[in-house]
Amino acid sequence: MFAYDLRLALDSMKRHPGLSALMVLAIALGIAVCTVTFTIYHAMATNPIPQKSDQLYAVTLDTWSAERPYDDEKPEQPPQLLTYRDAMFLHGAKAASRSVVMYKSGALLIPAREGVKPFNSQLRVTSHEFFGMFDVPFAYGQGWDAAADAGPQPVVVLSHETNEKVFGGANSVGQMLKLGKVEYRVVGVLQPWNPSPKFFDLNNGAFEEAEDAYVPYGWGKALELPVYGNTNCWKPETGESYQDFLNSECVWLQFWAELPTLADRDKYQAFVDNYARSQKAAGRMPRPLNNRLYDVEQWLDRNEVVQKDNRVLIGIALMFLGVCLVNVVGLLLAKFLNAAPLTGLRRALGASRRDIVRQHMTEVLLIGLAGGVLGLLLAVGGLAGIRAIYSSDFNGSSYERLTQIDPVIVLVTLALALLAGAIAGLYPSWRIGRTAPAVYLKTQ
Amino acid sequence: MDIKPILSSLRRSPTGAILVALQIALALAIVVNSLFIIVQRFEKVNRDPGVDVPNIFFVGWVPSSDSYQGEVTMREDLATLRSLPGVKAATVINAVPLSGGGSSTSVFTEPNEKGRRADMNYFEVDEQGLDTFGVTLTEGRNFDATIVTKPPRNSSFSPSGILVTQDVAKELFPKESALGKTIYTGTSQPVTILGIIDHMHGSWPGWDNVGDVALFPVIPDETYARYMVRAQPGQRDAMMKQAEEALNKVDNGRVILKVRSLEYIAANTYADDRAMAVYLSVVIALLLGIAALGIFGLAAFNVSTRTKQIGTRRAVGARRTDILKYFLAENWLITSLGVVLGCVLALLLGYWLSTTFELPRLKLYYLVLGVVGLWIVSLAAAFRPARRASLVSPAIATRTV
Repeated sequence: MFAYDLRLALDSMKRHPGLSALMVLAIALGIAVCTVTFTIYHAMATNPIPQKSDQLYAVTLDTWSAERPYDDEKPEQPPQLLTYRDAMFLHGAKAASRSVVMYKSGALLIPAREGVKPFNSQLRVTSHEFFGMFDVPFAYGQGWDAAADAGPQPVVVLSHETNEKVFGGANSVGQMLKLGKVEYRVVGVLQPWNPSPKFFDLNNGAFEEAEDAYVPYGWGKALELPVYGNTNCWKPETGESYQDFLNSECVWLQFWAELPTLADRDKYQAFVDNYARSQKAAGRMPRPLNNRLYDVEQWLDRNEVVQKDNRVLIGIALMFLGVCLVNVVGLLLAKFLNAAPLTGLRRALGASRRDIVRQHMTEVLLIGLAGGVLGLLLAVGGLAGIRAIYSSDFNGSSYERLTQIDPVIVLVTLALALLAGAIAGLYPSWRIGRTAPAVYLKTQ
Repeated sequence: MDIKPILSSLRRSPTGAILVALQIALALAIVVNSLFIIVQRFEKVNRDPGVDVPNIFFVGWVPSSDSYQGEVTMREDLATLRSLPGVKAATVINAVPLSGGGSSTSVFTEPNEKGRRADMNYFEVDEQGLDTFGVTLTEGRNFDATIVTKPPRNSSFSPSGILVTQDVAKELFPKESALGKTIYTGTSQPVTILGIIDHMHGSWPGWDNVGDVALFPVIPDETYARYMVRAQPGQRDAMMKQAEEALNKVDNGRVILKVRSLEYIAANTYADDRAMAVYLSVVIALLLGIAALGIFGLAAFNVSTRTKQIGTRRAVGARRTDILKYFLAENWLITSLGVVLGCVLALLLGYWLSTTFELPRLKLYYLVLGVVGLWIVSLAAAFRPARRASLVSPAIATRTV
């Protein structure tokens, strides 16, 4: 039966190739615009660490000035970053099952390899829990331990890309590498790892690449490594030394806690609040008590990772698809009614209404499928175009990462095309099925 | 012209007409709002940044060995850069304008964070800073080399005298000239306004107060320092090469990293806005194309199913122009219905966009523009089928009876 419907559908499409092509094109364009928009949205709204996103919490404390909130536009939100003393206290207290304190920095990397120019490498200065907490995959070796943080010991973990660049991709564990003024021993090399959005540090753009190398947290203080993210201050430091900066109310550190259950979460919230109360008693933190724990999804939301533009485009793309569908409905109706005498003949020869509807729906779905495939191709072309025009090393290749089509998108696209076809075909098929055969036979 | 027969024929089979009208309505809503967004982005990208964007480039560097000597090294490099014949001016600077990264601070007209307040995006530059940006003063004078200092590392430091843009001056002193006035930092340190810059954009093009900029006579910390160079017109690319070569010849404890033009940096900063504008333009073009094809398809179909009826009308005396007018009028009626519905949809969509995404409210003349545009597109799409209808021979009427 299906084979018969399919043959009829193909015959019908061949009878009006122009009209059929127009309908396929309309669906394809609607689908292509939606797919391009969805792909970028999907990349922005992706949960970068789904297996743990509800156990990892960005910890924030409102340490800001009594005079005004941290962000005038969102006065209810505490700063995203912590002061050194608060971060050190929270990390040292070990009230969470794991926590990590870190920031982004940079140092000149001078490769020993011939032909590789020195470059300013992006560093993550982090306590050792980073790799375990964020499920960072190693290709060779491993991270370091608490003793290396405290030392600090001259050990470094390299990204996949840095290892390619500096050691030609070989297992470089045990090799030495000079970053700035210090020689570090490579203890680990990561697999390619670029969580997108870069949830653990959104300061320098949500879609920038992960850092080139990771060094123990203690080096930050020992070398006074610069802050590449944001440093925000509301109260002047008491003096000019680095120690004065560390003691100040400037916020610049990221702090995450791993809290496996909601009970852990509540306990930790109480712990942080108690700490803040004790600080208030000591004359710090003049604002009302406002300490917030954000899990990964809430964190991405709080930092508005999905851009407004993209939400606008989703709306416009759906409306565009709507126009294409209305268009297809009109064309289908015209086409079906044009072939009504033939349908009348089939009805007269014994085809039931359901047969007629099924026959026409087959044709519609075929058009939808063809539109979907063509739309997918157009979308791939469109995304490649966006990549080609806008991707550059300057914006951390963010367009590169936002324009990748994945299998989910392919499936969603094809499903959407079929659904679109079905919706568009419903009324015309029903209408042609309902028509009495005699009317059309008469005009023959 | 009598539209009664058109109306009665539409009443008998309204589906096709309703579909076309619906298409036009949706298309109008999208086109008008997209166009509005495009124009806003276009205006944003094409604002005058005040700065001499085409001739400026930046040299990135970092200290690399113990022979690096802070201010001495920087001054040596600046001398090297300034000695190049195609270089107009050069300065060390703490951040890159129009790049999305920079520093800001708040100032007040009275101590203790009292009085009027301005948030300024500041650049730390030396005495050639003003000239390297390519901006001019409307009042006062540039600071001279003697007050340029390299301060200790402390966020509360502030220079004794600075230059501010007119935007800042007006925010602090709306009624009088800001020149020579003393303002105060958040920590109540007094600062004198030495000069007022006509107009320039700072680091963050997305910021509402992108024109609130100040220049500080300060040698920045090496962590953030880079060199900003302004070439003679047309010599930028040659100078970028020569500057890198000349600096690499000097071994003074730092390595040169990337050399980039401001044009490249600004283009990247505006990439999102440009992408949005291009994307929406493509959507508009496709939309109008699809709508036109739909209108054409239905009109053609209508004509082909009514061939006999047209022949009959012709046979009983209707002229070719009558037939043409009939179909065009029918199309115009349907389009107008769509356009009216479309105006409502466009306003709703515009309202939704402005409330949900804090975009400006849709300007009404875009609606007028969209309405006229769609009328034209629709008429053009229907013209060929209508003309074909007018060419139907009266003899058709007799043939198939």
